Amino acid sequence: MKPATITPGSSKGEESKFKRLFIEIWKYRMTYTLLLPGLIWLILFAYLPMGGLSLAFKDYRANDGIWGSAWIGFENFKYVFRDPAFADAVWRTLYVNIIKLFITFPFPILLALLLNELRMRRYKKVLQTAFTFPHFLSWIIVSGIIINVLAYDGLVNSFLALIGLPTINFLGSEQNFYPMIILTDIWKSTGWGAIVFMAAISGIDQEQYEAAQIDGATRLQQMFRVTLPNIMPTVTIMFILSVGGLMSSGFDQIFNLANAATQNVSQVLDVYIYRITFQSSTDFSFSTAVSLFRSIVNMILLLLADRAAKWLGGDGLFR
Amino acid sequence: MSTLARKPKKSKFNTTRVTGLDIFIFIILTLGALSILIPFWNVIMISFATQREYAENPLLMWPKEPTFSSYQALFADGSILTGYWNTIKLMAAGLPLSLFLTVSMAYGLSRPKFPGKKPIFFLVLFTMIFNGGIVPLYLIMKDLGLTGSLWAVILAGSFSVFNMILMMNYFQGLPESLMESARLDGAGEWRILRSVVLPLAAPIMATIALFYGVAFWNSWYDAMIFLRKADQLPLQNVLRAIIVESQTNASNATSVGQGTAASFSTGMKMAAVFVTMLPIMAFFPLLQKHFAKGVLTGAIKT
Repeated sequence: MKPATITPGSSKGEESKFKRLFIEIWKYRMTYTLLLPGLIWLILFAYLPMGGLSLAFKDYRANDGIWGSAWIGFENFKYVFRDPAFADAVWRTLYVNIIKLFITFPFPILLALLLNELRMRRYKKVLQTAFTFPHFLSWIIVSGIIINVLAYDGLVNSFLALIGLPTINFLGSEQNFYPMIILTDIWKSTGWGAIVFMAAISGIDQEQYEAAQIDGATRLQQMFRVTLPNIMPTVTIMFILSVGGLMSSGFDQIFNLANAATQNVSQVLDVYIYRITFQSSTDFSFSTAVSLFRSIVNMILLLLADRAAKWLGGDGLFR
Repeated sequence: MSTLARKPKKSKFNTTRVTGLDIFIFIILTLGALSILIPFWNVIMISFATQREYAENPLLMWPKEPTFSSYQALFADGSILTGYWNTIKLMAAGLPLSLFLTVSMAYGLSRPKFPGKKPIFFLVLFTMIFNGGIVPLYLIMKDLGLTGSLWAVILAGSFSVFNMILMMNYFQGLPESLMESARLDGAGEWRILRSVVLPLAAPIMATIALFYGVAFWNSWYDAMIFLRKADQLPLQNVLRAIIVESQTNASNATSVGQGTAASFSTGMKMAAVFVTMLPIMAFFPLLQKHFAKGVLTGAIKT
């Protein structure tokens, strides 16, 4: 339905078109009341904050509020782009998420392939339960477990000492921070990530396996020549979708696993925003400017990911 | 899960002979699963162990003299109970509200056509790709006078566009003739939703309720931003205070507890972890089933 436009001196035809639209809207008034509660929520907690981003171009004063503070143009951004901590945070976010993406991404695929080849069905279910469980826990709980297990006198280091290997300072060292983040991310999310690939595998036409077996293909060959090519479209889509989250993912994990010793290396963009907004001197205009930057980059990444997914023949993020 | 995880039928050509590949896969997968289970097991066992035993052997897999003293210390401290109570309040108010918002909007948007459907749907979707972020949201909550109240956390977490779309897809799959005949009987849309659609929507309602339930149970960021007083904090934030915030320096993580002689701080922390994840463990079979279904319909249909 096109929005009605009222032009001055509109002809009688257009006037009745407007009237028809109104009658149509009135006919569906009940449907609009269904949408109302959700729309009110979206206006209050999604669109008002979006409007609040205008603060990035204002000089925030608590007395004047978001809407009353004076406009100052791009002044805030001058300070943002001059702040070395901001640039560091942006690059660190991209760096962490990109290495995380490349190292962790193959694990769920591998797990799905291996689980698919496991012929003990009951055991497979038990394994899946174990692998998916950590996904349902918050990063706070998981951090609690990890801090215990990886601590200097925790499970892993005690074990390393027992078998005569040097112990590793997983949690309190800057250079071990990113490997630790990658390791714990694999630990928490591999099982869950495998589910999509398992579903894709279960959709593969069985005749392909039978044909491969007639040709004398071994199971390993079937895995790489039949299963893997068949799930490649899913793999591509999942990869692209993760690219969409390059600027925004990982906050919960990094924030909860960081400590005083890893203060610097843990400062990704979202952590930086939190720290400048709620921990140091509160300059809301400045942090809103950073927020706006983050939201725009996020949107661009998501739209690019969506485009790429559609271009490759997938559904994309949005229909 | 059963339908998703179905093993391809290769029976006709399959040999039952156990090959080297089978053994290799078995070992790799078992090691992987153990690497996940052992940390959990260790955490739970430490929570039942005495400090002396833990100090002797952090590899603890079975305490020789099991004790509840860590739990006694934890509950005597009381903050975890306050946390539990706040999380229960959060869910008691948040779940009905989120289901109401989600169901009504999902059913409204699943109607085949009405003027403005496309632009409204676009406005809803747009919030998924662009958001104001935490700073303006905090200021809006402050303007609304909600900061410092649990309502800020309840409201901020009570609607998810993703969940709404899952539910909308389900509603779109219902036969329109049912709604149409109720309409001819003079029923309004809200009545149709209540007495025709909802009785048919039990599976998706269960899935979405679990989605919101887990999200509320695990939520902590909103509470950290919007709440100020310690006695208002939900369970996850209390756990964070016990574990993460006390971990000032990882290299001497065990010396954190003040009264090392009086209470066993690592044991108490692990007891807190266990108590916080217990409900998720209890509901896990249910969660696993519904979440897998939800994420797949989401991945395939939206």
